[in-house]
Amino acid sequence: MGHDLRMNRRQFIEMGASSIAAASASGFLLGCAGQALEKPTTAAVVPSADAPRVSYFTRFGVDEGMIRDGLADALSRGADHADLFFQHRVSNGLQLEDGEVNRAYTRVELGVGVRVVRGDQTGYAYTEELTREAIKRAAQTAAAVADGPARPGPTALAVGAALPQRYTLDVPWDGIKPAQKLPILDGVNAAIFKMDGRIKKVSVFFADEAGAILIADSQGRLVEDFQPMTLLYVSCVAEQGGRKETNGYNVAGRRGFDFYSPETVGRVVREAVARTTVLFDAVPAPAGEMPVVLAAGSSGILLHEAIGHGMEADFNRKGTSIYADKIGKPIAQPFVNIVDDAAQPHARGAINVDDEGNPAGTTTLVDKGVLATYMHDSISAKHYGLKPTGNGRRQSYQHPPMPRMRATYMLPGPHEHDEIVASVKRGIYCQSFSNGQVQIGAGDFTFYVKNGFLIEDGKLTRPIKDVNIIGNGPRVLERIDMVGKDLVIDEGGWTCGKDVQSVPVSQGIPTVRVSSITVGGQGGTQGAKANAKG
Amino acid sequence: MTNEAMLQIARNAVSLAKQKGAAEVAAVARMKRDVDVTWRDGKLEKITEATSRGLEVRLYVDGRYSTCSTSDLRPEGLTSFLDNAIGLTRTLAKDPHRSLPDPALYSKATPEGLSMADPKIESITALDLRRTAQSMEEAARSVKGSEAILSVTTNGYHSWNETTQVHSNGLEASFAGTEFSISADVSIKDDDGRRPEEGEYAWVRVYADLPDAAAVGRRATERALARRGAKKAPSSVMPVLIDNRAAGRFLSYLLRPLTGAALQQKRSFFEGLVGKPFGSDKLDFADDPLLPKGLGTRPFDGEGLAARRMPLFEKGVLKNHYVDTYYGKKLSMAPTTGGSTNIAWKLGPKTQAALALDVKEGLLVTSFLGGNSNDATGDFSLGVQGFVIRGGKIAEPIAEMNVSGRHVDVWKRLIAVGNDPFAYAASRTPTLVFDGMQVAGT
Repeated sequence: MGHDLRMNRRQFIEMGASSIAAASASGFLLGCAGQALEKPTTAAVVPSADAPRVSYFTRFGVDEGMIRDGLADALSRGADHADLFFQHRVSNGLQLEDGEVNRAYTRVELGVGVRVVRGDQTGYAYTEELTREAIKRAAQTAAAVADGPARPGPTALAVGAALPQRYTLDVPWDGIKPAQKLPILDGVNAAIFKMDGRIKKVSVFFADEAGAILIADSQGRLVEDFQPMTLLYVSCVAEQGGRKETNGYNVAGRRGFDFYSPETVGRVVREAVARTTVLFDAVPAPAGEMPVVLAAGSSGILLHEAIGHGMEADFNRKGTSIYADKIGKPIAQPFVNIVDDAAQPHARGAINVDDEGNPAGTTTLVDKGVLATYMHDSISAKHYGLKPTGNGRRQSYQHPPMPRMRATYMLPGPHEHDEIVASVKRGIYCQSFSNGQVQIGAGDFTFYVKNGFLIEDGKLTRPIKDVNIIGNGPRVLERIDMVGKDLVIDEGGWTCGKDVQSVPVSQGIPTVRVSSITVGGQGGTQGAKANAKG
Repeated sequence: MTNEAMLQIARNAVSLAKQKGAAEVAAVARMKRDVDVTWRDGKLEKITEATSRGLEVRLYVDGRYSTCSTSDLRPEGLTSFLDNAIGLTRTLAKDPHRSLPDPALYSKATPEGLSMADPKIESITALDLRRTAQSMEEAARSVKGSEAILSVTTNGYHSWNETTQVHSNGLEASFAGTEFSISADVSIKDDDGRRPEEGEYAWVRVYADLPDAAAVGRRATERALARRGAKKAPSSVMPVLIDNRAAGRFLSYLLRPLTGAALQQKRSFFEGLVGKPFGSDKLDFADDPLLPKGLGTRPFDGEGLAARRMPLFEKGVLKNHYVDTYYGKKLSMAPTTGGSTNIAWKLGPKTQAALALDVKEGLLVTSFLGGNSNDATGDFSLGVQGFVIRGGKIAEPIAEMNVSGRHVDVWKRLIAVGNDPFAYAASRTPTLVFDGMQVAGT
């Protein structure tokens, strides 16, 4: 538990190296580096009749008998459903500070979570000991949520259809030596200092992760997936005329070492320098309601906060979301289409299967302006009498799954980027973001802008920075009155927090215009009022 | 797993790492047992119960440094884990500033009277938490106006934590702590289709300090009902009161750039300000890790340094930074401690209601929504909700608004602090009153 228990219960998104540590944090806070302990067989697993059905976790002594025993105990007091979630994850981090890669972090997570579900009630327990006895104890604890006669467990466990291969790597991360990674960090550092003399400090963080999960449930399903992840995070401090500014750039995905091509690394360097040094020219952002244009890409944070969390079905089955009675109703212009997509190849938010073992595809949240489908886990899907949408996700074996986003983005619309900017007489243009938050029931949400511009007479003029934007989800969706053709899915390392659990996500959007929203700048209200109508 | 077993794991890790070539080693073994029960709308929603453990090892090898953690404590797992970690450490650049702390600064004996762990936890079961959660819901629904309620979620939680720390240069220390929390969240239907949610909670070290669960339930409904009809108000510069419960978030943006890491990396608006006035004379607090029953209380910090009280601001003057051993060496500063614990404020004489009377017209912020603060420049912009203060009284609710400014200016305009430190957070903030802040709305 953090110092602020309550903050952890809120829904938020944030970016950066600290969020990577949080993404794999599970009670014991520590980041970490090194070689993978065990070699994940990351080559595609093609199920066949004679393949071992528990493959990866046999190295830890896990076998089908142990799984069947655990499931039997989980069902010992009756339940609708039970599952075991085995996880092994090795996370490595290397950090450069003051010109040297002089610290490394390694983190190994190994454990199993047992879930017992009765209706919409959940019992959960976990253990780090992968022994028959420890798993049985955890299963008996989780079973306490039910109070009926025992149900038989599955007589046989079977691997289902082959999973999609959305992030198969040519060379898995445990096949890459630290000595191969070090030049990337050193190269970024040297290139940044060479590019601009105003840069005084550079911090580079390189992370990679090799993970395996195995899900076994009371229907006898057995699902195994390998989930790589990597991130390169650069942060700079620059000085000019006694002023300091800080900013950076990062890229992430379920990708391998080959992701770090000269093009990718060059882009990280250029963006980190440009986004930092432009801040010296920034003028105070205005305060008050005005038109806001969101640049294509990471502005997808608007969707994550304004509609994404509110469309997670757990809040709707509880009646606590502002979208709880809006399915089938028009909520936006007909050119607004929003999806949550598990299938973007190598995206940070991509999954082959969700953490309940359900197939994960593309969920349409808004179809031609009409609210279409909530994001479901198996509990909410059962509540609504629907098929799960593959949105059941969890931070780790220490947590039960719940409906979560994957890659959330808006499809291209009818307008041109330049036409959208030219349409605004006075407003702001938002380019990069650090974090956002939402209140599910009231619908109010925020996102924090690190880089942007004033729009004056249809043109981007002076830069702005460090300004929070606050709006109300349904009202802002109504006010999206222009959508560009230029969809970009952001490559940044976004982490979403909900009810104390963090998961990696992606987001994207084409250039859009919101006709009016509150901008929380320090620059006062002068000039803003007259332009509130856009 | 017992405390003795955790001590053995930490000792083994230290000796094994030394055998494998580490010059110095620090090992921290942690064990946590928690029970978390959520109740919603008349029935149990979720119950989680588990004991987990983990090991963190910091390695100093050939003048190089790395840190690693694992939940795989099998002997064969630990051996290959340390082999890999030491191999990795050898590939890094040397770092002359890395070392274990000076043993003279280590905790000698656990101070008496901290009251961090309450043995009462042994006798409280998941069923007890379930009954408490149920009674909170019943109380929440007993409040006048409760027909507007859409859903009530209540929670009971407790945990037992043990930390055992062994360093190769002469530290063996451990402590245990307990936490108990109860909370209620209430969603209500508003006329305009909004479904505002508010809640009440308590979080304590000692079970007997928990308030009456029914009162927490009722207060959650009262808070939620008070949010009905919340509107955006016009943008302007006005006096702002930050409620004691919300103020911890605002304070965190002052504490974050106070670390040695922020200072050395030039990510701090406090650079060069030690001994200089920063805020008004009302900005006056210390870091106090030895506060009995404090949520941030600890006998020693993450590096094993013995805990001691440290003034941070006295009458607005910056007195100290949070400096750990590593950044202390880089900065040529003596280490203090790596991060914040309990914040002990010099309190004012007045209640929040009396402070509102003094302010007459302004804004009471009861919670923040998103936003951020730039540690290098001190610029901040934060979403807020709360209430209008009119004629010295708390008036209608506001939502979807924002406050912004620069810390270097705003804390100079801290004109009063309340007599009401918030008991359920380590930051223990009183109500804070600022005499002019940019507020954005319509």
